[in-house]
Amino acid sequence: MSDAMQFYLSTLLIYLFIDIIGVLGLNLQFGVAGIINFAYIAFVAVGAYTAAVVSLGPDHPDNFQHYLFGANWPFPLPIIAAGVTSGALSLLVGVISLRRLRSDYQAMVMLVLSLIATLVASNASGLVNGPAGLATIPQPLYDQLGLAPLDYQWVYAGWAGFLTVLTFLFVRGITNSPLGRTLRAMRDNDRAAAALGKGIVGLRLMVFVIGGAIAGISGAVFVEFIQAWSPGSWLYPETFVFFAAILVGGTANNWGVMVGTLLVPVGFLEATRYLPEILYRGFVEAMQWVCVGLLILLFLWFRPNGIFPERAARFRPRAAAPTGPANSVAASE
Amino acid sequence: MNQLIPAIGFGLITASILAIAAVGFTLQFSVTNILNLAYGDIMTACAFSAYVANQAGVNIWICLVIAALFGAVFSMLLNRFVYFQFVRRGTKLFGMIIVTIAMSLIIQNVLLAIFRPTFFSYRASPGPSHNFGSMIFTESQLAIMGIAVVAMLGVHLLSTRTKLGKAMRATATNPSLARSCGVATDRVIDVAWLLSGALCGIAGVVIVLNTATFSEVTGANFLVPIIAAAVLGGIGQPYGAMLGAITIGLASEVAASVINPSYKDVVAFGILIVVLLVRPQGILSEVAVAKEVTA
Repeated sequence: MSDAMQFYLSTLLIYLFIDIIGVLGLNLQFGVAGIINFAYIAFVAVGAYTAAVVSLGPDHPDNFQHYLFGANWPFPLPIIAAGVTSGALSLLVGVISLRRLRSDYQAMVMLVLSLIATLVASNASGLVNGPAGLATIPQPLYDQLGLAPLDYQWVYAGWAGFLTVLTFLFVRGITNSPLGRTLRAMRDNDRAAAALGKGIVGLRLMVFVIGGAIAGISGAVFVEFIQAWSPGSWLYPETFVFFAAILVGGTANNWGVMVGTLLVPVGFLEATRYLPEILYRGFVEAMQWVCVGLLILLFLWFRPNGIFPERAARFRPRAAAPTGPANSVAASE
Repeated sequence: MNQLIPAIGFGLITASILAIAAVGFTLQFSVTNILNLAYGDIMTACAFSAYVANQAGVNIWICLVIAALFGAVFSMLLNRFVYFQFVRRGTKLFGMIIVTIAMSLIIQNVLLAIFRPTFFSYRASPGPSHNFGSMIFTESQLAIMGIAVVAMLGVHLLSTRTKLGKAMRATATNPSLARSCGVATDRVIDVAWLLSGALCGIAGVVIVLNTATFSEVTGANFLVPIIAAAVLGGIGQPYGAMLGAITIGLASEVAASVINPSYKDVVAFGILIVVLLVRPQGILSEVAVAKEVTA
C-alpha cells in the first residue's frame, strides 16, 4: 500500500473512532435516556477548546492567537481536563434547562444554545481567538515518541481505538445495568418511572453530564489529532450528523450506532470529501447536506428504529423454570 | 441617552419583523403541534422567490405579495405531504423535530446549490428618510412597521371575529373534540399553514428590505430570535408571540447599542433563559399546559 493511501486510511480510521466516541455519548443521552440534546456538538467543541488551551502553553501578547488560560499540561491531562470541563458545563446547562422545562422547550433551548455558543466563540476574541480559531495545537507525545509521521498516525489510531473500546465498555456497562433499565423506563414513560420512585431529574442530569463528558473527550481526541479548531468546525448541523448516525444505526443500540457512524459521518461525509468539484466550489458539499437530510427522512419513514433496532430486553429466570412470556415477566420483577 | 432613542427605533423595526415571523411560527405549533425548525429556511426560500420576480423587473411590493403566496403554498404542501404524513405514521414529537431539521438542511442546501454561495439584494431603493425626534426611518422601514401592524390586526380579527378563526382555535385546543363538533380539522390545518406560510413569506422579504443583503442562511440566522420570541410568550400563543417579539426586538437592539451589535442574539437568548426559569411555560400559557398532555 502506498504511503498516501496508508495516510488516508489511518486518518479515516481515526475519524471513525472519534465519531464513534461522540455518537456513543449522544446515544446514551438520546437513545437510552431520551434527552434531546441539540447542543451536543457544542459540548464536543468545549472539550476540544479545553484540550487545546491547556496544551498550547501560556498566551503571549505577541502571540498570533489569543486565548484564555494557556497552560502546558503533559499528555493525558488535556483529555481528562476536556472531559471534566464539558461535564461541568453540562451540569450547569442541565441544572438550568432539564429541571423544570417541558421536553419540547428543552429541545428548543438546546438548539438555540448551540447557535449562541458559536456566536460567542466567534465574537469574543480573547476567549478562543474568535472566528479564526486555534491552531498549531501540539499532538500528544509527538516529540517524545520520535516516530515518522505515518507511524505516528497508526499509533494515534491505536490510541483512539483504545479510548473507543473504553467508552464502549463504559456505555455498555450503563445500558446493560439496572441503571440502564431505569433510564429506558424513564425514556419510554417518565411519569410511570417517577411513580415507581425514580428520581427523574437526577437521572436526567446524570446522563446529561456523562454524555457531555464523553462529548468533551471525543472533541479533545479530535483536536489533538487535527491540531486546529475554529467555530466553523462545530456549526449546529454537525449535531444532526450524529443524530443521523444514531437513527440510521439503530437508536439505543450501541452496536447499531457504531455501524451508523461508519455509514454516515465517515462513509458518507469523509470518504466523499475527495469527489471532484462538480459545477462549482461548494456544490458537492451542499448536496452532501441535502443527502444527510434525505437520509434522516428516509430512515424515519421506512425504518424508524434503524438498521439494528434496539433489542427488546429478555429476562431469563435464574432457576431453570419453563420460559413463557408470562413467566419471564413475572421472574423479572 | 442620545444613543438610546435611535436604538429604540431600530428595536421597533426588529420587533415588527419578528412579530410577523414569530406569529406564523407559533401558529403552526398551536394548530398542528409541530415545531417547524425549517421555518427560517422557508423564509429564505420566500426571499429568493421574491428575488427571482424582482430580477424579472417586478416592483418590490408586488414581489412581497408573490413571496407571501409562495410561502403560503409551500408551507401548506410541506405540511400536507411531509409533516402530516410522518405524524400519521406515528412519528412522535421528538421525531418530528428531527424531521423539520432534516427539511431545514434540505431546503437551505438546495437553495445554496441553485443560487450559489454569494450575497443577493433586491432592486429597490429604501426611499427617503424621515425623522421622528431622533429616530430615523427610511420609507421602506415605515412600510415594514405598517405591514406588521396590519398583519397583527388581521390575525387578531381573523381569530376572534370569524368562524374560521374560531375553528382554528378549537382545533388548536382539542383537535378530536373539534372534529366531533363538526369542524373540518384537515381543512382548518391547511388554512392555518397557508396563513402562517404567508406570514413567513412576508417576514422573509421584509427582513431583506431592512438588511439590504441576504444569502442562503439569512432566515436560519433569524431563527434564534423567532424561537426566543415564540417561546417567551408561551409557544402556540399568537398574542404571546407578539409580546415576545416586542420584548426581544427592543431589548436586543438596545443591548446592541449599549454592549456590542454581535451579541444581539445572545441577549435574546439570555432573556429567554431568565423568563423560562421564572415561568417555565412562557408568559401566556393556558394552551401550552393543555398541549403537554397530548405531546
